[in-house]
Amino acid sequence: MTKSFALEAEQLGKAYRVYPRPLRRIGEWLSGGRYKGHHEFWALRGIDLALKPGASLGLCGANGAGKSTLLKVLSGTTAPSAGRYRVNGRVASLLELGAGFHLDFTGRANIVLNGVMMGFSRRELEKKTPEIIEFAELGAYIDEPVRTYSSGMGLRLGFAIAATVDPDVLIIDEVFAVGDMYFQKKCVDRIYQFKKRNKTIVFCSHSLYDVRQFCDQALWLERGEPRAIGDSVYVTNEYASYQRHHITAVEEAVRSQHPPVPESQRGRPADMPSILDARIYRLGTDEECYEVKSGDSLEIRVWWRNPRPALTPIQIGIVFMRGDMTLCGGQATHFQDVRLTGTSGCLVLKAPELGLLAGQFLIPAILFDDAGVHRYQEFMMPQNLHVRSHTREVGLFRLDLAFEQRELAPPAARAPVPAAPGP
Amino acid sequence: MTLEEEPLLAPPMGAWITPRPARGLEVLQRLVGLPKLVSGHRDLVLTTLKRDLSARFQGTLLGWAWPILQPLLLFAIYYFIFTRFLGQRMPALPESQQAGMGVYMFCAMISWGALGESLGRGTSVIVDNGNLIKKLAFPSELLPLNVVLASLVMMLFGVAIFIAVCFTSVWPRPGLALAWIPLIVVLQGLFTYGIVLFLTTLHVFLRDTAQVVGMVTTVWMFLTPVFWVPELLSAGPGGASVEQHMGLIHANPAYHLVSAWRGALMGDVSLTLESGVLTPVSVAAIPGHLGVFALWALGAYVLGYAFFVHSQRRFADEV
Repeated sequence: MTKSFALEAEQLGKAYRVYPRPLRRIGEWLSGGRYKGHHEFWALRGIDLALKPGASLGLCGANGAGKSTLLKVLSGTTAPSAGRYRVNGRVASLLELGAGFHLDFTGRANIVLNGVMMGFSRRELEKKTPEIIEFAELGAYIDEPVRTYSSGMGLRLGFAIAATVDPDVLIIDEVFAVGDMYFQKKCVDRIYQFKKRNKTIVFCSHSLYDVRQFCDQALWLERGEPRAIGDSVYVTNEYASYQRHHITAVEEAVRSQHPPVPESQRGRPADMPSILDARIYRLGTDEECYEVKSGDSLEIRVWWRNPRPALTPIQIGIVFMRGDMTLCGGQATHFQDVRLTGTSGCLVLKAPELGLLAGQFLIPAILFDDAGVHRYQEFMMPQNLHVRSHTREVGLFRLDLAFEQRELAPPAARAPVPAAPGP
Repeated sequence: MTLEEEPLLAPPMGAWITPRPARGLEVLQRLVGLPKLVSGHRDLVLTTLKRDLSARFQGTLLGWAWPILQPLLLFAIYYFIFTRFLGQRMPALPESQQAGMGVYMFCAMISWGALGESLGRGTSVIVDNGNLIKKLAFPSELLPLNVVLASLVMMLFGVAIFIAVCFTSVWPRPGLALAWIPLIVVLQGLFTYGIVLFLTTLHVFLRDTAQVVGMVTTVWMFLTPVFWVPELLSAGPGGASVEQHMGLIHANPAYHLVSAWRGALMGDVSLTLESGVLTPVSVAAIPGHLGVFALWALGAYVLGYAFFVHSQRRFADEV
């Protein structure tokens, strides 16, 4: 392969034709294109992409912003209406888990059927069938008709097939939103491995955290047009701050950054890691407190349990989030190389002379997998932290700022600065 | 990386994909490239064909006995009911060909059955598989191909049953004319595929198509000499002469198809009547019938596939 890009797109666009009634279409045919009976709805416009092998691109944006449409065009299920794109290598797309299963056939037969649909050879699939079965953890069910599967089982099989065949470009549409916690974790691990092997990934997610963790680059779409593209941290921050300024979008931001942890732990093995409790104390004392002044010293204690540390190593992160979802700061064990060994323990985060200015802060403790990618659990403190300040400083943090007056002449005129390449 | 190593993707890997619909040279390439496409996707074609066939009998008590039983029962109906019970005969049949009328109908029925079934199921195949088309990128022309191939396989069961039946005293054993069968099957497949491609594309954009196709197919069957012998027609309604009838009948591609089948399976049947000798079935006429039918098949394929290829890229948006 001498081609430098795995995936390229130039001014890619997609329009859907909308016919108010079927007769208009006939009119169009009969008039030989002179009469236009439809109007066009542009779901996507002006997308430029260039992804090298090994790159990963995350798509973010509100519902209906064109994320799924872009994935559909890139995976080849629908043709573009403007611009052009090309893919160097084999593509596997996971636009919907389990698309193309034949219900009357066994899981084993469906592996081959589904795989050859994606363009992989039967021989290749038969070789990989044991691996797929093992990943899907269907056991004896693999030889039962898919009709008898629960929706979760069908889903596991679908993901196992797409993840095990060996494409060069993997296109995934919001798959982490499904399945139980345990299987989600497996999916995340598999995609991580995939990335390590220098394969290209394009995926969309409502979880900005996922986009940030998985992707080097991100594309923010709004009403089908690119708002920002570039480094994933930069783009997701832009997107998050945009959302904050739009009251209607705020609710979505809350939901996407903090998907509700399911109340019932149904389907989750009892020996998965969990956070038992978390509270805030004055530093070095046992006095629990949630109303503090700027500059007070605090510590946050998190009690955790992990019955199988060898199998499911964990990391814990604690973040400070203002009421309007501004992420003010945070720390995690995987950032500081703290190892959480043993089957249970209490982790303490010390915050001497808290620099936060007045406000109300949410402080979730997040239980991660080893890589800090998958969230097992998000634990909210019993109360929000109220910080009062006695100075008139503005902003989020108290920075070390001080004034001084000097006798200096004004500087010489500056040469014009070239405009920074903006999004 | 050469193209030969990667035969699986329809557009060559790494080629720019643009909004321009396929036309002209590109369509021609696709028309000629079908065998290559099919051989590149032979796993998909064979797997779905097997799936399609076994899905018919999955869960039935008799399972794979059905494809053998079905034509056997069909033959029994035409032989016992039409020939023996109702006494439907052609006049002046030779002694060994007493079952002539029943066999005459049966031979056309197995061929027409495949054609009719393909049209019926194939017209809606793209729309019915909308979920696949929208979610998976694969050459969608393989879906109608699958329908056509499945019906041809079922037809061949019927052919095999007929040949087996000829080892009893019901009908003389067929001879070398059987060698025509592979060519007939290929041409029938091409013809059917072309029509199905056209209809299934039309159905994506105009959902009335399937309704109309059902009715038209029935009418077409009765207009085709499946249950009647054109040579034995007397002057028709409005005083049209037999020659005029024959002119119309010859314009029907299905007539040439069933006639070729009958020649290959039944051998020669000649009736010595007062007005002269009639040969409703003859081996010698096979090349003539096939020649005409081959033109029809080629035309149907070119037209149907071109229409399909031109519209293919809009399927996912419409189903």
